[in-house]
Amino acid sequence: MYIRRFFNPRIGLGVMLLTLLLSACSGPFSSGSPTPTSTTTTSGGGSGFPTTALTLRTPPFGTAGQVAPTVKVLASADPTLIVQFPLFPASIKTLFPDATGLVTVIQGNPETNDFDTVIVDVQKMPPNVKFTVFFTELSAKPFGHGEYVGDVITRGDGSAESIFHLITFVAFAADARNSNVTSADQSGDASGIQLEHVGMWFDGVTFARTVLKNPNIPGTPFDGGGGALHAGPQAMTDGQTLPVI
Amino acid sequence: MQFIRKISLSSPLLLALLLITTMWVGVASAAPAKTNALAMADGVNTNRLSNPNTVQLQRLVRTGRLAPSVHVLASLPPTTIVQFPLVPSGIKKAFPQATGLVTIVRGNRDNAFSDTITVDVQHMPPNITFTIFFIEFASKPFGNVEYVADLTTRGDGSGETIFQNIAFVAFAMDARNPGTSQDGQEGTTSGINLEHLGMWFSQLQDAQKVLNDDTLKGTIFDGGNPPLHAGPQAMTDGQTAPVF
Repeated sequence: MYIRRFFNPRIGLGVMLLTLLLSACSGPFSSGSPTPTSTTTTSGGGSGFPTTALTLRTPPFGTAGQVAPTVKVLASADPTLIVQFPLFPASIKTLFPDATGLVTVIQGNPETNDFDTVIVDVQKMPPNVKFTVFFTELSAKPFGHGEYVGDVITRGDGSAESIFHLITFVAFAADARNSNVTSADQSGDASGIQLEHVGMWFDGVTFARTVLKNPNIPGTPFDGGGGALHAGPQAMTDGQTLPVI
Repeated sequence: MQFIRKISLSSPLLLALLLITTMWVGVASAAPAKTNALAMADGVNTNRLSNPNTVQLQRLVRTGRLAPSVHVLASLPPTTIVQFPLVPSGIKKAFPQATGLVTIVRGNRDNAFSDTITVDVQHMPPNITFTIFFIEFASKPFGNVEYVADLTTRGDGSGETIFQNIAFVAFAMDARNPGTSQDGQEGTTSGINLEHLGMWFSQLQDAQKVLNDDTLKGTIFDGGNPPLHAGPQAMTDGQTAPVF
């Protein structure tokens, strides 16, 4: 009786149901969706933050007359160095005369960077074809020494983009057994043979023969992996005599 | 009237009961889904050795065509992941505890634009920039080489660099006379395969100071002016058979 006086069963049931409801909402199994993590936002606009854009400057790149005229050194914020240059159709010129390519090379800080960033963008190339990208000694035949840096696979519309991270501005080929071989770099004489050009090749000669409608195209060494000379001809070139990188 | 009143009074309770039941049923149905997802993941894991890339590379390690220091990770297809250590060479006396680990990841052989290489080191000379090369031979005379990246150590001698280029099928060649070579994974390939990795002091002066040896000679293992301004090899994979 005493209990009944102080414990209304209806209220008790209500409290129990409310407790169950709360436990169902906060229980571990109710976390079907991720638990929101706390986010801390800090408001900008403090008096110490800049209100104007960084000053841009055009950094030096090579010496005058020693860099290809197609190379554009961008005005950029210190200490970055950003250069851009176009690629032009080589073996695909007849069938894909409108093919274009743009190479952008970025050095975050020439004094401290671990590698450079290379972005290759192409348009109006043969669609759905894999191309290899090489740094080469010469932009046209016989090309000389080459370094295989990456691949570009075109989409159905002939466009594509690839990004690589590796040493670019001071890329060179060398045989350490002949350490006395030197060549001129943007920075002066340097060890090895400088690789200062960029080209793209069909990664398979079979594809090249189909795309270019020529069954007599010979294989080339411009791809890695099994099958010597299984690559096709050069598709895109920087087309310059002077260095582009 | 009393009946209606009873119903009207108890309807919120019934509604709450219904709501709770619905929620618990929802929870109960969600729980097995979670279990199923785990079971599926377990199923994938148990089939991981079906990755043909992994199986092939593990076979190469067993047959000595890849170095015994190479771990071929049991990764899911179509990925290929190998790891191998670097050991001190030129810095062995002064930094005998130096260690290095190289991890190479290829996403999909047919679709990858490049491989991703992560180099981690510890207990190296602090605050020094080292160059990283793919090389024909792990030790002198090193043969043909490709300069791929730098790594600058922190104050505690640790460091990491991650770069993306062609690694598994890296090769050197002069297109005027490319020649061929034998690759354990690929068979006959164009050019000369670069299947080893080493680290060099980027500056001879750094090496002379760190190693307390003024007689050290300059090497080719850095790009840019002047020639032979790099120091000796600091770390090597130390293997005769290829590491990648």
